[in-house]
Amino acid sequence: MFWHNFKYSFKTLIRNKTLLFWTFAFPILLGIFFHMAFSDIEKSETFDVIDIAIVENNTFHQNKFFQKTFEAFSQKGENQVFHIQYVSLKKAKDLLKKEQIIGYLQMDDEVHIVVHSSGVQETIFKYIVDEVISNQKMIEDLASNEIGQEYSKENATIDYNKIYAEITKLVYSDTESLDNVSKTNLSYTMIEYYTLIAMACLYGGVISMFVTNYKLANMNCVGKRTSISPISKIKILTGSLLASYVVQMIGLALLFIFTIFVLKVDYGEHILPIFILAITGSLAGLSLGIVVATFVKAGENTKTGILIAITMLGCFLSGMMGITMKYIIDKNIPIINKINPASMITDGFYSLYYYPTFHRFIFNVVSLVIFSILMIFLSLQGLRRQKYDSI
Amino acid sequence: MTVFKTFWKVVKKYKGTIILYTTLLIIFGGLNMSANNQSTQFVDSKPDILIINHDQNHKLSNHLVKYIKKHSNLVKIKQNEEAISDALFYRDVNFIIDIPKNYSQDIMNGENPTIHIQSTGDYQASLAQMLLMRYIRVQNIYKTKTHDEEELIQKINHSMDKKATVELTSKLDISKTSNVSTYFSFASYSIMAVVIFVICLVMSSFKERKLHKRTIISSMNYKTYNRQLLLASFLYTCIVWLLFILLGMFLFQDVLFTTRGILYMLNSFVFSFCCLTIALFISTVVSNKNAVNGIVNVIALGSAFLCGAFVPAEWLPNSVLNIAHILPAYWYIHSNDLLKKVEILDFNNLKPIFINCLVMIGFSIIFIIINNIISKHKQKFN
Repeated sequence: MFWHNFKYSFKTLIRNKTLLFWTFAFPILLGIFFHMAFSDIEKSETFDVIDIAIVENNTFHQNKFFQKTFEAFSQKGENQVFHIQYVSLKKAKDLLKKEQIIGYLQMDDEVHIVVHSSGVQETIFKYIVDEVISNQKMIEDLASNEIGQEYSKENATIDYNKIYAEITKLVYSDTESLDNVSKTNLSYTMIEYYTLIAMACLYGGVISMFVTNYKLANMNCVGKRTSISPISKIKILTGSLLASYVVQMIGLALLFIFTIFVLKVDYGEHILPIFILAITGSLAGLSLGIVVATFVKAGENTKTGILIAITMLGCFLSGMMGITMKYIIDKNIPIINKINPASMITDGFYSLYYYPTFHRFIFNVVSLVIFSILMIFLSLQGLRRQKYDSI
Repeated sequence: MTVFKTFWKVVKKYKGTIILYTTLLIIFGGLNMSANNQSTQFVDSKPDILIINHDQNHKLSNHLVKYIKKHSNLVKIKQNEEAISDALFYRDVNFIIDIPKNYSQDIMNGENPTIHIQSTGDYQASLAQMLLMRYIRVQNIYKTKTHDEEELIQKINHSMDKKATVELTSKLDISKTSNVSTYFSFASYSIMAVVIFVICLVMSSFKERKLHKRTIISSMNYKTYNRQLLLASFLYTCIVWLLFILLGMFLFQDVLFTTRGILYMLNSFVFSFCCLTIALFISTVVSNKNAVNGIVNVIALGSAFLCGAFVPAEWLPNSVLNIAHILPAYWYIHSNDLLKKVEILDFNNLKPIFINCLVMIGFSIIFIIINNIISKHKQKFN
């Protein structure tokens, strides 16, 4: 009987177009949207050459130090910081108005920077100018010190050029020793794809809800018929649920294949943990579906609406519509994401991708299992011994 | 007004689902607003830096911390490895500086201790790195000239206090307007989903085969029938729009009660109307209630992702933006982006915004025409 029920539930499921859309096609479509929207986002964050202008006037021409320094900054190559146009004041204003440059430098008695608005590029521009000013001052300081010392030694043949050259060399020698120990896997758009998997896992609830509805006497005629048949409910239900789980796993496998081979999503190197996470995540989705089917006394459409709304809210809180959302919740109200299955799944993938250790991953998997058991237990309490005098 | 009343009766029947969707999407809009302001724009040009100081109570390292603090936002995070790594991944901090033990002493002894850094590699992180490198460079130059910690600090201060003067040409505080723009752009998703979902759901009830046949043979003129349906759905759209405006007014009182605010509202109204025409068009083409949900999600999420409701349009690849031109949401969001930056609200500057509105109206007209053609065809066919 178990296998009989399994077989027919499976057949009913794979012939239902709406269900197939939600579990198979929709996540893949969403993945394509993600890919289109996020493919450039991290590139646009990295350092680009900044467009500026320098006003050509006498003061600038006389200041060899500034000229040479900015020449060095604009030299093509890996270390190029600026793309500089040397223009008249009028032209510089014009360029700024047309937003072809982010700002211009004007040298009179003081060094003057004009920018359109405050932003990161503008700030970098200002920092570099400040640094050039302070370097110039430092060189002057050190040089006058050095020359003063030479004078006090009553040295008659002071080689000014040599002193100047030595100090400039000192100022521009790279003495700072920084060691960048950042992790290399910092691509946070991956979170989006993880929420997508989380969503697909939870949408599996729609399938399990569908098969559960078929076993409920108050939902449809098939439910009435199965309810009066002399077979234990648990047997019927487990067969159907197993069928829905299999369908769900097929959908998930397709999604994984699509994201890995077409969208090139990086899930880290751990195949087995990913598999475990997918299985437990789907189980959480399945159990969520049964709970909604059991406890919401409403029509099928309303049930679907509520289930999808719960899933969407969960995915939203785990970062699907804005990656920082998950972090904000994690940091400020961590309890919400501790009970949100979408977040458990997302965080599980995140910990696999980002952390070398497994303890956070295991915590998430265990949470998912507990969540599923709790949901299934609740539904069993609701489903058993349902009796109707008249329906 | 039988039809008009029936529309609201059906709405009442679905009130659970409708209230759920409407509030959920409005909450999304509001929440997203408060969470995302740090990642969508770079108005605040101070990088977020975390300093882990293992050399506390020493003048030189404290001076370094003080200097960094002056030019950045020092972020406080729980001092455990996991919290710090999470913060870096989610860009809560852009740069982490780990000052080693005995840093000050080593410097004064003429050594060159290594500072461990962690960086997100973006603009803000580059800025933070520049800050740090500049300090160390000055410090290393002067440390060869003196052996007194106080004197070294003084020299560092002295060398870094001369600065260029900065003049800002823009008088507009973009930080405020960009929040408003983000809110309204995100609302494009919520408005679209709610309007299309509910109207299609209600309309599909009217188009149930038996019911529809009864309506056709009734004495009511089909034009009156259509007009009442249109009126009811238009009213519903207005209510949804109003909800978003009220929430917007609550969040950004200072911007929305200005001319700029009125333009934002006008823009969103035109867009809501466009959504209404799309909803009517879909309800004519699709009569299956189950399919409605799927179609709504694909259309609403699709246009939100491709047009820049979730990710700022400036970060989208050009090829995607080119495709997005065929979607009304693109023109709506484009106007929002323009409204963020326009300084003087005169006709010349606002012309592109009006053109965008006209394009949206154009879309609406096209949808209305196609809708009429198809429904006429279907009527005959029936």
